[in-house]
Amino acid sequence: ATMPVPVPVGVLRLPRGPDGCSRGFSPTSLRFQALLGGDTVAAQGARAALRQRYLRGLAAARGRPTRFCLRAGVQVDAVFGAADVEAVAFQVDALRTPLGVQAAALLRCADVLAYSFLL
Amino acid sequence: MNDWQRKSPLDWETYVNKMVKVAAIEKHEYEGWVLTVDPVSASIVLATFLENEKVSISVVLGHAIQEVEILKEGDDEMKQRLSCIFAPEESKAYSPEEEEKRKNALKTWLETNHIPVTEQGESGRTLCVAGVLTIDPPYGPEECSSSNEIILSRVQGLIQGYLEKQQ
Repeated sequence: ATMPVPVPVGVLRLPRGPDGCSRGFSPTSLRFQALLGGDTVAAQGARAALRQRYLRGLAAARGRPTRFCLRAGVQVDAVFGAADVEAVAFQVDALRTPLGVQAAALLRCADVLAYSFLL
Repeated sequence: MNDWQRKSPLDWETYVNKMVKVAAIEKHEYEGWVLTVDPVSASIVLATFLENEKVSISVVLGHAIQEVEILKEGDDEMKQRLSCIFAPEESKAYSPEEEEKRKNALKTWLETNHIPVTEQGESGRTLCVAGVLTIDPPYGPEECSSSNEIILSRVQGLIQGYLEKQQ
């Protein structure tokens, strides 16, 4: 008897992530460098304290009208939604663009120079 | 990666609570009190106090930072003011006895449900669940900390349900 020919399975190609590195994280990122080690206990303590304050800052930004300064002098207003762990993109609501208001959008961190909101 | 992004966390920490001027690419400049520097993106979070009691928060992304100049150091009053800006909301204050009762009740309930829990920290006020999640007083879902998002979410749900049954 002959062996049954295995049915070929379609290969699922995932779309490229916004930063082009579809593997989920960048090996050159600060986060990965830190994971490799080489930090003293004091440095890791400082890292944790700084990061915690930053995360609380992101929580405070949520739902607030925010102005984003993009490249080439472009400024857009939106409602701050969320940021991802690797600092790749921001999710915003009600993004005001010259073409109209986008209900929800992603802004690439690489395109954003600064953003500000009022407390 | 620029020089600013290459600094160590201890270096970034020296800028906290200082008034700085940040020179960014495309000739942008930002001034304000440094609340923190995000170690993941090296972004600087600045606070500016406006006249109408409001605070303006500006975040300059790490990749856009060219130079950071320290203008002045914040005094104790400013440090206190800055630390309150993002501080978590004050929860209802419990007396030490009430706190101890809440802790023991929660610990007993977790043990009854076969969830390993120990006490740790100074004076044993912190509960440690399965060695990966801690619960600080007053022992609500908001006081849970863990590096594992799934466990955190599960335990927060359990505690929420437990507290609701108590009412």
